[in-house]
Amino acid sequence: MVPRSCLLLLAALVLSPWAQASPGLVLVVNARSGVDRLTLDDAVNIFMGRYRQLSSGMAALPIDQPDNQPEKARFYRLLVNKDLAEINAYWARLIFSGKTSPPHQAKSTAEVLDLLARQPGAIAYLERSQVDSRFRIVLEFER
Amino acid sequence: MTLALAMAAVSPAGAAEQMKQEAAGNGFSLHGFGTLGLARTDDDDAQFVRDLSQPYGLTSRWSAKVDSMIGLQAGYQFNDKLEAVLQAVSRYHSEGNFAPEVSWAFLRYDPDPTASLRIGRLGTEFYMLADSRLVGYANLTVRPPPDYFGPLVLSYVDGIDGAKSIPLGNGLLRGKLFAGISPEKMYLGSGLYWDMSGSLVAGGHLDYLTGPWQIRIGQTRVRFDKGPPINEFAGLPDFTDQVPEMEVAGKWTTYDSLGLVYDNSPFQLQLMLSRIDQGSAAFEDSRAGYVIASYRTGNVTPFIGYSRTKSEAARFTSTPPFPYGAYATALSESTHADQHTWFLGARWDLRKDLDLKAQVDWINGSPNSVFPYREEKIPGWDGDMTVFSLALDFVF
Repeated sequence: MVPRSCLLLLAALVLSPWAQASPGLVLVVNARSGVDRLTLDDAVNIFMGRYRQLSSGMAALPIDQPDNQPEKARFYRLLVNKDLAEINAYWARLIFSGKTSPPHQAKSTAEVLDLLARQPGAIAYLERSQVDSRFRIVLEFER
Repeated sequence: MTLALAMAAVSPAGAAEQMKQEAAGNGFSLHGFGTLGLARTDDDDAQFVRDLSQPYGLTSRWSAKVDSMIGLQAGYQFNDKLEAVLQAVSRYHSEGNFAPEVSWAFLRYDPDPTASLRIGRLGTEFYMLADSRLVGYANLTVRPPPDYFGPLVLSYVDGIDGAKSIPLGNGLLRGKLFAGISPEKMYLGSGLYWDMSGSLVAGGHLDYLTGPWQIRIGQTRVRFDKGPPINEFAGLPDFTDQVPEMEVAGKWTTYDSLGLVYDNSPFQLQLMLSRIDQGSAAFEDSRAGYVIASYRTGNVTPFIGYSRTKSEAARFTSTPPFPYGAYATALSESTHADQHTWFLGARWDLRKDLDLKAQVDWINGSPNSVFPYREEKIPGWDGDMTVFSLALDFVF
């Protein structure tokens, strides 16, 4: 029989990434995208390349922060509870079988903001403090 | 159509369009994947192969032959709708060497974000994950379970495919149809090849994705243009005339499959089942399945798996004349498989583009389980084998 404490420990391990508060990471779109809200499933579909059509009919254009930005690792931890090596393995399967492309890899946070501001279908994760009137928050990750 | 698309692709783009193209990843890209694998068995009475495209396999000496490979992929994105991809792979295959081959070469057109059409050379997707079975870095185990993927000798076809996704309920329904002509061949042993070129491969599948679940049902059919050189194999020039049920050319073989993936990181489960119904008595019908469970802890992901394959003796509707009947039975029985494998291993992610894997496979089978192997020694082969494997996988 498995001791109850082991089960609790297992549950704590499995649930811990969601239990931790992640201050201020939000998913934003261009204010002209015609989208007000996205569910977590929508965000998974867009960033994992499963379905990239927004409810307004526009094509979603997901943008990744640079690898050296802590937001990227945090975002994927919150989105699908995977680290960046797992995300890379996931995309390796799709790239080398000629399927969907990964999100556009920005070289800097400035590029993320620039694309978000210019591209109606652009969607990216930011610190709440980086959001201004050009963008609309469609999903908040903190509890 | 291709010309019109190409012309649309090179039309001048405004600044906004250019930005959009940039964000869509336009332009030239170069990627690669590879595996440096080392493996050996504990048994020299049969040689272990990754799949039946390999003419010789592992012995009790360490070898880099069966799992090592390198692939290079160049892509050109014309715009957010049109892309060209070329992939070449060097691995140990039917020629008995590592001569590179073009594994993918296609034009992809996405009329909208929910649909895609591809034309050219395409990897075959007989089963879930089958079109990425060479990409070690994308997979958990050293190699896809041979009990399940071993009979897949057709890696690519020249043809077309189309895929479409639609939201359904809380999830996503995805369908794909494909058809093409195989350019490949298979080594049969004793210096004989089966020329599979001209064979028609057609099929489709439906996926449903919801939360951590993905389930797929699929079917692929193959109509072989030419049969294996059975007459030469038997040494009887009129063999297939005397036993028409052994004829393979023109017959359809059907591959049915069911796949289930539960990916609730750090826990992951894969379950696959398949059934191969042969159109000819030259090959036995078979059933296979596998399950893999893994749990990621930090950079290390230990896994445990079980796979099984079993084939059924072919039934001849009439008794072939002597001595043809005995040859027919013997040939058909040379495609018999009846074994199961327990495997245990771990994947260690060293970097975000490099992993190291170690795995042990314990195969338990009957002595007449010979189809999955090469160079069986009869008598001698007892159906049991242990395989030790190490692999370093990378992508760039």
